[in-house]
Amino acid sequence: MKKLLTLFVAAVAILASGVIQPVKAETLRVGMECTYAPFNFRNEAGDLDGYDVDVAKGVASIIGAELEFVCQKWDGMIPALLANKFDLIIASMSITDSRLEKMDFSQPYRISVGRLVGKKSADMNLFDDMGAPIAANFDGVKVGLERASTYASWFEAKLPDADVIYYDSSESLYLDLVNGRTDVIMTNPMKAFLKFLSKDDGAGYEFVSPQIDERKYFGIGVGIGLRKGNDALKDRLNIALKTLTDDGSLGTYAHKYFPFAIHNEQWTPVE
Amino acid sequence: MSFDLALILDSIPKMLMGIGLTFQLLFLSAALGLTLAVILLLMRISGRWYLSAPTMVYIYIFRGTPILVQIFIIYYGLPQLEFIRDSIFWPILREPFGCAVLALSLNTGAYVSEILRGGVLGVDRGLKEAGAALGLSARDRFIHITSPIAIRLALPAYSNDFISLMKSTALASTITLLDMMGIARTIVAETYAPYEIFISLAVIYLILTWIIQRSFGWLEKRMSRHVRQ
Amino acid sequence: MDALTGWWDDFFWGSVVVAEVFVTALILTVLLGLIGAAAKLSKNRVAKSIASGYTIVFRGTPEILVLLLFYFGSAIALTNIAQIFDPEIKFIDIPPFWAGSIAISLIVGSYATETFRGAFLGVDPGQIEAARALGLSNFKTFVYVRIPAMWRLALPPFGNHMLSLIKDTALISIIGLNETLFAAEQAIGNTGKPFTMYIVVGLIYLGFSTIITLSVMVLEKYANQHLEVGR
Repeated sequence: MKKLLTLFVAAVAILASGVIQPVKAETLRVGMECTYAPFNFRNEAGDLDGYDVDVAKGVASIIGAELEFVCQKWDGMIPALLANKFDLIIASMSITDSRLEKMDFSQPYRISVGRLVGKKSADMNLFDDMGAPIAANFDGVKVGLERASTYASWFEAKLPDADVIYYDSSESLYLDLVNGRTDVIMTNPMKAFLKFLSKDDGAGYEFVSPQIDERKYFGIGVGIGLRKGNDALKDRLNIALKTLTDDGSLGTYAHKYFPFAIHNEQWTPVE
Repeated sequence: MSFDLALILDSIPKMLMGIGLTFQLLFLSAALGLTLAVILLLMRISGRWYLSAPTMVYIYIFRGTPILVQIFIIYYGLPQLEFIRDSIFWPILREPFGCAVLALSLNTGAYVSEILRGGVLGVDRGLKEAGAALGLSARDRFIHITSPIAIRLALPAYSNDFISLMKSTALASTITLLDMMGIARTIVAETYAPYEIFISLAVIYLILTWIIQRSFGWLEKRMSRHVRQ
Repeated sequence: MDALTGWWDDFFWGSVVVAEVFVTALILTVLLGLIGAAAKLSKNRVAKSIASGYTIVFRGTPEILVLLLFYFGSAIALTNIAQIFDPEIKFIDIPPFWAGSIAISLIVGSYATETFRGAFLGVDPGQIEAARALGLSNFKTFVYVRIPAMWRLALPPFGNHMLSLIKDTALISIIGLNETLFAAEQAIGNTGKPFTMYIVVGLIYLGFSTIITLSVMVLEKYANQHLEVGR
């Protein structure tokens, strides 16, 4: 009997030590979607790759920290950060005022814009010459958006009566556009161009709106997210990002996927 | 750990707006699933191998794979096949509601047919023999003797499956449907308060489960009132 | 079909993770089921009500909700508790593997509690009396007489619980665990072939279910072999 009891206690102890991992300071856990090519995704070799991943690695080597990547669905990204699931969000997350209420951001390391994609033949005429949306022409148009994204916020503010369907991931967003379940989607134009419009699947589709970068909804760009109260860490991140901008690394990272750089050449401060 | 009571009170009505969709998914899938289950049952106990073998394969597949995978295959997978998009079924498969009901019905049909089969097997042989001795045909025996008793025997297990079905409707939120779970996830995404929202939602589901269990308990009592304890 | 090349190893490692979660959760489920059943059958009012509350809550809440709640809520709760003991600790986090395994163990454990409870009630009272007569303590009776006898009765429904466990591992992909469904989603992002990838996942799970069902059949034979009187 005693043997069984000691075995039981030992088993519980082993299990418990696996469960509880109080982490000490210099490993930084980074949350990202892991299904958002070409910014953060898993390539065929099984490694995490992409612009966000490169930026994360670059920053880590400058500030001298170890990295641990954690995959997280987009709509749970900020709750997970606030719940201590990871320390940083490097997942192409835009710096918006509403997000700044709950968390901090570093300086931007990429510009943040949105654009609508739809079928070529549809001739929907959704935007006027000034680049503003024509609400009436959105009647009967099914719009796909990613839950909790800047595109969703912009849409809800500008076209609250539109028929919107929310998705958990950007991959499902594109799948359903091709399947005809949605007529247009609003998403990141860089990714749209690279992964969709320039490939066979996207042959019949095109941009149906001008580039939208209204600061209120898209912020000044995409930054590294962190919990409030970590100003020392934030400063270190900003110094690292400035280094990466100045020495051309951000440009190099971008050129792996795009024929252009995607970060803001001018250094704009977060207010 | 702050507990935002105001947020909970604000969110509960919003989540309850999804209850209509939850019920639609539940009752429609239950009805279709039950119909399918009866058909499968008859095929399974028919004694003819070309009817019972495919049924067993079907049940094996649907009970052996996760329902989430079944939902994804139907919603995201089928449109990949060209002929699906051109077929007459496309209007149904195009809608996430149609896909969810289809997946849930196919799944619950497999489980319920086995439950019904358990009920049928539990019918006392003596009663069936008595029916034969009285000159009733096999068909009449099945309808008038076996079925009522089988249903009564299967009721407890069926009530469990019904509750499982209700819990599975929450998975519809993964294919864009805004049932109670879908609305909850949207609220969490906007307010970053998973704890409060999800606990309130759990309480709502528990109340629903309690109502369902009481209803089935009442039904079981009614059906068993002639049985001497 | 060649969309799959390059992804086979991801699916393989995903399956390994599924197996790991299954084994972990299985151990926890059996423990929870036994403890819960014992609590429900005991004379202790407090234990009874806790166990009742446990089964009611976890049988009535959708699995996906339990998972999400556990994933987000547990870290906050545990950190707060830990900080009472050691304010130096910045946070305690439960990785998705453990959050998921514990969550699904709690869920299936609540069903197992009921199954074990029914099975315990089915143990021949004569055997218990015999154990008493031999002077075995309550605890010894429990371990050496009740559990082996109950196990035979519990095996068929417990086989179903095991199937539920393996299928619930698919849900853990929602909280970021790198198992087969997650691998499929990443493959789809790369290849654009959802049907192919999800069918592969389905087949993997079908394989697991088959192994479990066959194992249960073997176990049932083993558990009942002492009853096979010469026919």
